Amino acid sequence: MSELPQLDPVIHAQARLRVTVALAGLHSNDQITFPRLQQLLDMTPGNLSTHLRKLEDAEYVEITKAYEHRTPVTLVRLTAAGRAAFESYTKALHQLLDATGGD
Amino acid sequence: MDDEPLSAEESLNLIAQQNRRMRRELGGGPARMLGAWALAWIIGWGFTYVTVQPGFPVPGWVGGVVVAVAFVAAIGYTAYVSARAGRGIRGPSRTVGAMYGYSWALSSMGLSLIDIRITQFGSLSSEQVSLLWSGTWLLLTGVQYLAGGMLWQDKLMYGLGAWMIVSSALSVLVGYPTNFLVLAVCGGGGFLLAAIVYFVREKSSRR
Repeated sequence: MSELPQLDPVIHAQARLRVTVALAGLHSNDQITFPRLQQLLDMTPGNLSTHLRKLEDAEYVEITKAYEHRTPVTLVRLTAAGRAAFESYTKALHQLLDATGGD
Repeated sequence: MDDEPLSAEESLNLIAQQNRRMRRELGGGPARMLGAWALAWIIGWGFTYVTVQPGFPVPGWVGGVVVAVAFVAAIGYTAYVSARAGRGIRGPSRTVGAMYGYSWALSSMGLSLIDIRITQFGSLSSEQVSLLWSGTWLLLTGVQYLAGGMLWQDKLMYGLGAWMIVSSALSVLVGYPTNFLVLAVCGGGGFLLAAIVYFVREKSSRR
């Protein structure tokens, strides 16, 4: 098992990787509410917020606050940059696996 | 636990695991819905075909009731599945999905009105009325699936639409009461075949 320093450190952490996978699973330009995202990931609100903020700082994720029927909702979306970063991250994973002989 | 470095393999496993979860929660594909419609068409129209046979001890209207119940159940299931999968999701895909759903409702109401009105004139025999209904409803179903195929750039769905239009022509050509058999076997069978193909695709993409 090699250390993987060349992998995007923003995505390459268990929780943020799962958040990214979940957001990449939506159609591009679709948004998801915070509670539904939390349910899809089984994460606590605090934990999810922390990781979303890091992804937002990297401009991989866009967080919008809106009102629906006078109720505030937080909507999350993967940006084009985030989607591209996730694609090159998975490509890098496959290259690393090939380089290390599949294990 | 977030500080533990992941190996490439662990990362890929994590991605696969979360993707499986997403597919399960977001509904995956149209296999189950098409399966529900296949059941509704095969049971509803198949039963109707049997009841209109001469000498069958059950009155013909019972077939109509079975069709109505099967269709209401399929509509309910479709609405439930799509609402559940779309919970908390906003954006273009939801808008397109809602517009597609409403186009079914609108066109069905329009066609019902036309068919009921023509039926009420009373100038067509009951056998001709039966062909009017089976032909127009298979045509509408076909056109809706052509539209779905265009919307989601899905050739299989487009093919299902084309098949329903062929079935529509077939149903009026074979005449009453075989048109019910066309509805059950070609219509319902078309749904069933499409459901199976989508199901197999979902299974194989999971590996």
